[in-house]
Amino acid sequence: MPSATAVAQQDRALYDRLATLNDPPFTAAQRGAALDTFFATRSGREKPSRYWRVDFETLQPTSAQLDASDVTIEVDNPNDGVAVYDLAVAARERPELLGRAFGRTGAHATKFGALAAAFARRGVFIHVPADRAPGEPIVIRSSTAANSAAFPAIVVLVERGARLTVIEHIDAASNAFVCGTTEIVCDEGAQVTYAVVQAAAEDARVLFTRAALPGRNARVLWADAELGAALAAGDLSIEIEEPGSESEIVALFFPNGSQHVDVVSTVHHRAGDATSLTLVKSAGTDRGQARFLGNIRIAEGAQGSDARLRDDALLLSTAAHVDSVPALEIAANDVKAYHGATVGAIDDEQIFYMESRGIERSAAERMIALGFFEPAIARFPTERVRDSIRQALAAKLT
Amino acid sequence: MSERGLRIAGLRCRIAGKEILKGIDLFVEPGRVHALMGPNGSGKSTLAFSLTGHPQYDVSGNVTLDGQDVLELPPDKRARAGLFLSFQYPAAIPGVKVANFLHAARQAERPGDLPPAKFRALLLEKMEELGIDPSFMGRYLNDGFSGGEKKRLEMLQLAVLAPKYAILDETDSGLDIDALKDVGTSIAKLRESDEGRDCGFLIITHYPRILQYVVPDVVHVMIDGRIVKTGDAELANRIERDGYDRLREESIAIA
Repeated sequence: MPSATAVAQQDRALYDRLATLNDPPFTAAQRGAALDTFFATRSGREKPSRYWRVDFETLQPTSAQLDASDVTIEVDNPNDGVAVYDLAVAARERPELLGRAFGRTGAHATKFGALAAAFARRGVFIHVPADRAPGEPIVIRSSTAANSAAFPAIVVLVERGARLTVIEHIDAASNAFVCGTTEIVCDEGAQVTYAVVQAAAEDARVLFTRAALPGRNARVLWADAELGAALAAGDLSIEIEEPGSESEIVALFFPNGSQHVDVVSTVHHRAGDATSLTLVKSAGTDRGQARFLGNIRIAEGAQGSDARLRDDALLLSTAAHVDSVPALEIAANDVKAYHGATVGAIDDEQIFYMESRGIERSAAERMIALGFFEPAIARFPTERVRDSIRQALAAKLT
Repeated sequence: MSERGLRIAGLRCRIAGKEILKGIDLFVEPGRVHALMGPNGSGKSTLAFSLTGHPQYDVSGNVTLDGQDVLELPPDKRARAGLFLSFQYPAAIPGVKVANFLHAARQAERPGDLPPAKFRALLLEKMEELGIDPSFMGRYLNDGFSGGEKKRLEMLQLAVLAPKYAILDETDSGLDIDALKDVGTSIAKLRESDEGRDCGFLIITHYPRILQYVVPDVVHVMIDGRIVKTGDAELANRIERDGYDRLREESIAIA
């Protein structure tokens, strides 16, 4: 247990590193305030079990990682009419446009969202003007170098009636510390699908805060595959402030080796007559640990809300743990809220059925485990991405 | 030259310490249809699971398939030796598509025998025969299927895998008239085909309905874990008329 002095020194080191940063999108004062928020805010994440080996209260990048801060963000934008800006450039040259999405979702108020805000330098702002419907997805690749910290900030604004699909690949090399934010704001009738495939090195740490604000009658889908990293932890949220929207959060994770995955999802129905679906598939093997907390909040005035939470957990080894907790807070009386959950090992009757068709036991377990994830995989855009997820999951089974 | 046939000799089975099968003797020759009838609780499904190798069944005795000892093999090896079971309650496997599953099963039992295009053609042909909509290929195995759909899928597997010996466990239960006709016709077609004409059948059934479509060569009646009577197709008709009670009385009298 580090001494109080050692801890204070560590904290001061972060402030020192911050002193040199005054770049857009945040001023020095804003960054200082964000770092204050980071220290003042508790993670809200308690140890789910005695096997959990991560302490979120002391989690921060090292000075060395901050000094080496090195991330590249490449964007493939094959579409006419969709504008992709460097975030700092957008902050200088299009501040009013950027301001319609940046900072609007509350992403910077969480502990690690605030840390990301304090140190954010590299980022991307994607703007889709009204009624545009690009034919191809935008592909973002962020790569963080070994032993380096990165705080990528992605901001997406989709104007009324427009559509967008984004596929973000997150790579990070050995001992990287990635702490990023992604914010999506969609105007009336807009549709956004945002898929993340995180495949960082097995000793990297990847933290994230992803928040969306769908407008009236808009549709948002977060699809998140956390495949790599020693620790993958973060928040996925949708704040429904306008009626008529359809929101979906789909997440899958499969910690193997000694990976930890910790995901909190929140759908907040503040306005009525909106639907949401949260689907999470978590499995664990070897000594992997997963924790999922699924929040559904329906506010008092949100009549006509329809919220569903489905979370399934599969245990493939005796040392793996999956802790899955639903939390439904419903303050309106004319709503539909459903919750379904399963947890367990592979069903012996399924194995026997497959063996009775000549399929050998380990092959049967493999097919069943991959099949377990399939309903979530099916929600990701493009067969190429779906196949890459299947392959990554299959690799964890060998 | 090994004996051809599925030979069951002195088969006993205990579940949770209780003896369910008390010494079963049965011989199914290639290409012949044996029906096994009996009241509920007589041990018919237990026989099916004992033959297929379900891990919870404590089995003793002797079972050979074309001369090969089968009881010492795990379930997947029994299947690869040519044994097939059509389940009364097939397991659902979400996320595993019907086409992928069938392909994996066929590959397990006959590695590399059909290129993908030919396999797909075979699948479509058999699905049409069974009245299964082609869209089922992409559905998850038995997930959300009705009872009739599950049974048709069991028959599809029978048609695609073309085993040497097929045990059908109450395949007709829960089927409406159309489904029963499709299932019965499918079995008849298999028996007429090159791949299936030598398949030996053990049709386990409570009611004789399916036997209209697949006329048995031999009918056995099981009561309380023993085969109490063996006869020809006429025995099935007798049971339809009189039920099992007369036979039950007769078997008690003999025992």
